[in-house]
Amino acid sequence: MKTFSLNKGLTVLWYPIIFSFYLFCTPALARNPLRLSDYQQQSQVTGIVSDGTVPLAGVIISIKGKQIAVSSDYDGKFTITASAQDILVFSYLGFKTVTIPVADRKTINVHMQEDIASLQEVKINAGYYSVKESERTGSIAKISSKDIDKQPVSNVLAAMQGRMAGVNIVQTTGTPGGGFDIQIRGQNSLRINGNNPLYIIDGVPYSSDPIGTGINSAVLPTQPSPLNSINPDQIESIEVLKDADATSIYGSRGANGVVLITTKKGKAGKTKFNAKLLTGAGRVTSFMDLMNTQQYLQMRREAFANDGISPIPDYAYDVNGTWDQNRYTDWQKELLGGTANITDIQTSLSGGSAQTQFLVSGNFNKQTTVFPGDFNYKKSNLHLNLNHESDNKKFRINLSAGYTIQNNNQPRLDLMREAVNMSPNAPALYNADGTLNWENNTFNNPLRNLEGKYQTKTNDLIANIMLSYQLMDNLQLKTSFGYTTLGNTETTASPSTKYNPSYGLGPEFSTLIASSADRNSWIIEPQLNWNKVIGKGKLDILAGATFQSQQSNQLVQYASGFSSNSLIYNLASASNIFTMVSEESQYRYQAFFGRVNYNWQEKYIVNLTGRRDGSSRFGPGDQFAAFGAVGAAWLFSREKFFENNTVLSFGKLRASYGITGNDQIGDYQYLDTYASSGINYGGTIGLQPTRLFNPKFGWETNRKFEVALETGFLNDCLFITAGWYNNQSSNQLTGIPLPGTTGFSTLQANLNATVQNRGLELTLRTLNFQRKNFNWSTNINLTIAKNKLLKFPDLAGSTYTNQYVIGQALSIQKVYHFTGVDPQTGIYTFEDVNGDGILSGPDDKKTIKDFSPEYYGGLQNSLKYKNWQLDFLFQFVKQINYNETIYFGVPGSQGNQPLTILNHWHQAGDIVPYPLYTDGSNSAAVDSYYKYFESDGVISDASFVRLKNVSLSYDLPIKDLQCKLFFEGQNILTFTKYKGADPEFKSAGYLPPLRIFSAGVQFSF
Amino acid sequence: MKNFNINNLHWQNSANPIWRITFSSICLLLLALIINACDNFVDVDLPNSQLTATAVFEEKATANAAMTDIYSKIRDTGLLTGSASGLSHFLGNYADELKFYGDPQNGTVAFFNNSLIASNADVKGLWDSSYNQIYASNAVIEGVDQSVHLPAVDRDQLKGEALFVRALIHFYLTNLYGAVPYITTTNYEQNRHAVKLPVGTIYNNIKTDLELAIQLLPENYISADRVRPNKYAAHALLARLDLYADLWDEASNEASAVLNNTGLYVYEQDLDKIFLKESTSTIWQLAPGFSGGNTLESVTFNFTGGPPPLSALTTELMSAFPINDQRKIHWTKAVTDGTTTWYHPFKYKYSDTGSSVEFSIIFRLAEIYLIRAEARAHSGDLIGAKEDLNKVRNTAGLGDTSAITQTEILDAILQERQLELFTEFGNRFFDLKRMGRIQSVLSGIKTGWDAHDILFPIPEVELNLNPNLLPQNPGY
Repeated sequence: MKTFSLNKGLTVLWYPIIFSFYLFCTPALARNPLRLSDYQQQSQVTGIVSDGTVPLAGVIISIKGKQIAVSSDYDGKFTITASAQDILVFSYLGFKTVTIPVADRKTINVHMQEDIASLQEVKINAGYYSVKESERTGSIAKISSKDIDKQPVSNVLAAMQGRMAGVNIVQTTGTPGGGFDIQIRGQNSLRINGNNPLYIIDGVPYSSDPIGTGINSAVLPTQPSPLNSINPDQIESIEVLKDADATSIYGSRGANGVVLITTKKGKAGKTKFNAKLLTGAGRVTSFMDLMNTQQYLQMRREAFANDGISPIPDYAYDVNGTWDQNRYTDWQKELLGGTANITDIQTSLSGGSAQTQFLVSGNFNKQTTVFPGDFNYKKSNLHLNLNHESDNKKFRINLSAGYTIQNNNQPRLDLMREAVNMSPNAPALYNADGTLNWENNTFNNPLRNLEGKYQTKTNDLIANIMLSYQLMDNLQLKTSFGYTTLGNTETTASPSTKYNPSYGLGPEFSTLIASSADRNSWIIEPQLNWNKVIGKGKLDILAGATFQSQQSNQLVQYASGFSSNSLIYNLASASNIFTMVSEESQYRYQAFFGRVNYNWQEKYIVNLTGRRDGSSRFGPGDQFAAFGAVGAAWLFSREKFFENNTVLSFGKLRASYGITGNDQIGDYQYLDTYASSGINYGGTIGLQPTRLFNPKFGWETNRKFEVALETGFLNDCLFITAGWYNNQSSNQLTGIPLPGTTGFSTLQANLNATVQNRGLELTLRTLNFQRKNFNWSTNINLTIAKNKLLKFPDLAGSTYTNQYVIGQALSIQKVYHFTGVDPQTGIYTFEDVNGDGILSGPDDKKTIKDFSPEYYGGLQNSLKYKNWQLDFLFQFVKQINYNETIYFGVPGSQGNQPLTILNHWHQAGDIVPYPLYTDGSNSAAVDSYYKYFESDGVISDASFVRLKNVSLSYDLPIKDLQCKLFFEGQNILTFTKYKGADPEFKSAGYLPPLRIFSAGVQFSF
Repeated sequence: MKNFNINNLHWQNSANPIWRITFSSICLLLLALIINACDNFVDVDLPNSQLTATAVFEEKATANAAMTDIYSKIRDTGLLTGSASGLSHFLGNYADELKFYGDPQNGTVAFFNNSLIASNADVKGLWDSSYNQIYASNAVIEGVDQSVHLPAVDRDQLKGEALFVRALIHFYLTNLYGAVPYITTTNYEQNRHAVKLPVGTIYNNIKTDLELAIQLLPENYISADRVRPNKYAAHALLARLDLYADLWDEASNEASAVLNNTGLYVYEQDLDKIFLKESTSTIWQLAPGFSGGNTLESVTFNFTGGPPPLSALTTELMSAFPINDQRKIHWTKAVTDGTTTWYHPFKYKYSDTGSSVEFSIIFRLAEIYLIRAEARAHSGDLIGAKEDLNKVRNTAGLGDTSAITQTEILDAILQERQLELFTEFGNRFFDLKRMGRIQSVLSGIKTGWDAHDILFPIPEVELNLNPNLLPQNPGY
């Protein structure tokens, strides 16, 4: 700033002085007409402002040309003193400004219309600062409570599905309490666990590391997500920061994007009670078409005939007459056909004065499962938010705290696989006396899995206090203090009752895995904001620091040999206890960050962000690194040559480039340590060297480039954003392969490999209709993304040689090429790539299949007619996935098969898609069937269009009470060619996401 | 870290009330304090669940735990494990002791068919776990050498044990893979470029290590049940090494060093007691993985119904037992399905007993007698040789040997080794190989046998990652 040209500087300096003088004088000027108007007829004008149904609080009502303004209260009421000739101006963010002449009226009720086009004025939370939508230089996607509240889901990530460009979310199980996979702009890191975004809840970083060890939750395909602790109904908005401009201020943690979650706050006005009661039902979206008993038994008999086995052996209970040959049970319906009942109660109390506002809310959510038996997931949550501002508006305090208790009680194992594999003529589940039927030891009753239980309890507190003080007019000091604590216990019990009683196994064969984990963290972030008008522009400078510490502990124990099954949860009753994991770890993080933003006439904007941070995850000397980005925006629609353009209403070109990092590598990796091996030798538990230690490794760096064009047409009724990004992740932190002579096969180090993620993101918003009683708007988002491994030194010599290919995505599989059923032999054939006559290993697995989606997106419509509101979202994904055959055994062996298998090989010359039947003794057929699982024959198109969410609500026109009835649905319809359980779903053998219908009432007074 | 200099910030707005200045000053002071106090903010302490390598070797208990963990690993993984992926099972199938009946996908098939290739996962697995055990031994040696507080007596003990283990693993590696590197440091920058040494040089290195170990290790066992090696375990290995190196006098002397200690070692005459954990003929054995446990060998070899789930003893071995050989009755067991009969090794009889009955024995007296017998036979002491040989024969319920000439005695010793040491760590394979009999014995009964099979291939990945290990062993 010191190099500022003096001449220019002087002129520039005049502006603020003149401006201040003007401001100083205006009140005086303003007062004069008031005095003059004393002579005019003054009267009180009152009225109610509403959006047609709901009163609007906080609407600014001013008199045109005068310095008088009031605001509407919580019931939308206002009172203003005006003369008959005055014109009232009603303005409210997000609504069209209304001007109404008083014209001698005493009461003026105003119906304001939502102005979706004015979303350009909305403030977007960028973490350490907020920015007007029109002036942001970075790529930030946002959804607000308006969209979140309409979905009957219990995890925030579910609420985001299909609604944001560049954000790919996949649900991993339909069992409540499970996890989600999220990738923001693709996979950056070779380490599967190194691709999580950074979550920030009300300014407090929230660790996304899974809770628990994974040893303990066989019913879930992935470890439980800690984000289950956040109640979607308490969220005001979710912002996803994607490009370098937005994420570089998060430095070493921003590589995979940042998800900012802001909870709801109280509003000034009358104390208001709000309640929402919802009840719903969830069912499996679709069942697979499987054989019936006749088809099945015919297949089995043909299999034995093909194998030349006659008579049918005594172990083939399904077909040799031991089991009823006419019995038929639809096992999918029997085992997965239940209804999951959902109950959700949300209550809140909010209100306050202009200076102090509060919000207290309490919630309860319960969800049962589709499995038979009494299993459920319960979540209770308490949330508090308090805001206070001092008289002089200089000091502010904001407190928010949330406490959540989750109780999950599930069967030990998911029944999905057994439900599709059981013979359709398998016997009844229960005997007449209600005990489990083992059919004289011929039937492995699937309900044995329900004897064992998976239980988890999670307590979670997230609290934050933000203090801010306006030191000078343009200088603000702000400090945020955050604290989170999470406690989790998990048990998986396998009581001996899960075994057939004829084995005579007592409680001495019962086992229990018990684990407990806790995680505490605190954060302090002091921050200074300063701004100044320089020239025709405004300069904003922010500087701050972060200190964060996180402590985690984990204990997993395996117990066996109980004296009684009723004591199975008591470790003291076990005769053997083995500690599988006992660890603690500490993570410390420190950073300095800053932002310099210069906004010239709201036309040219430059935004510089940077962060220097240090993490305890790296060794001395490598702890600190600097990250930064530059972003710029040009609002060309504000240039003179567009000034009178009636078509183009908004135009912005923005670009950003910068570097972020990734430190998701676990703690203490740089240390030369010994850890307990847990293995006994002569009474001593051994200590083993933990790793080859490499104190010299650093961050993965992610270079992000983005350029985007945002254009609005016809008064922003048509708004298009097109963004192109190119991110390159290098310096990959991974296990570098070492020869075995070093004692270990890998060394944690930075590998000079580069992963590229490129993509195009399009969003389109249209206001199709905007009338007094009818509004209709549409949002479309589309992401076309490509992941590519650009560089990997000595890939051939590394342990990754069979996993990756240069120039291909990280999500590929190398498989055999399936060449159909041999018409002569009836068995599957594959391409023998190297022509050695043997189908084997990497040499013949040369076909590459990429499992990452080619493109995906969503189409959302929002319609409003009088008191009715209808929203629906279609989600679409173009991708491939393992098809339905992955669930099934060799056709002809015991176990049901999909109906499609009927089109199988009978005799020489048949040209059919499926092989001959065998019970398993035709080893060539069996071998080729297992090769089939490693071939492209088992991979099919799994693209789909899904009606993800529908919400219909009606506002009851009742005086003094806002009351809304609503109906919501999730995963309602799916259009796909895919024949498996669910095309969205990647975890074969687990319960897919459910279709949920719910209805409820929401009222406030 | 950059320090925030508060002196540069002047708050000179005289219009501010005093409390306001005070407030902001306090805030800034706090900020400055935090920043100053946190110079080392991101340096964290070690977690309680881990110890630095240096700290481990400052205390006897932890240093011991570092050493015993190597024995756990030897017991559970790599060359000497009694599980199905150790040498006892693999080399039994590779030579003429075992026939494989199990799952065709099982890795043992390649050993049984003598069809190992350089990319074989088990060949790589044996290599990797061996060098991992060597790494851990070198870490103990380095840790003990740098230790300040560990008493000298413990330092000697641990260093002696680690040297012994390093020698033991290298001994097996060179006999399996031929020329291999001899790793004596934990430094991966050196070890990733390690160079192959000729077998003779490796033998010299082993000898040096063992001689030092003999100096360092105590006479008596420091643990109950002989699960930690003493001086005589090192003598036993040295005797075997000398025998393999055709150093007859040295082999004989080393064997005598063990056999002469009659206070510790008494040749157990009851065949059913030789493999019990209290056996007085045991020189070194491995403790089980949990208290009350028994051996992995019993799990690998024993079966109750046919056909065998893994391997059974070959007819060649079973028919080699002379009539009246009590080992056939006590150390093997017949299992029949009514039509076919199979035999499995039954040296280790117990798997689930509630309390430990047997441990996995690595060195026992019978082998030492047979080593001395062979060494004596070679150096012309035929009477002494027969004396030692008969010791073993008599224990097995057989009469004195009828062999007279040196060749006859050596043949008798080879056969005695076959019958005494079967399915113990591939002794049979190594014996045939070093005596030059392997081609003639195996090519007749094993169709897959080739001359180059006397060495395993060096794992392909190793050659890719460290070209110093080239060339590959002949024939692969």
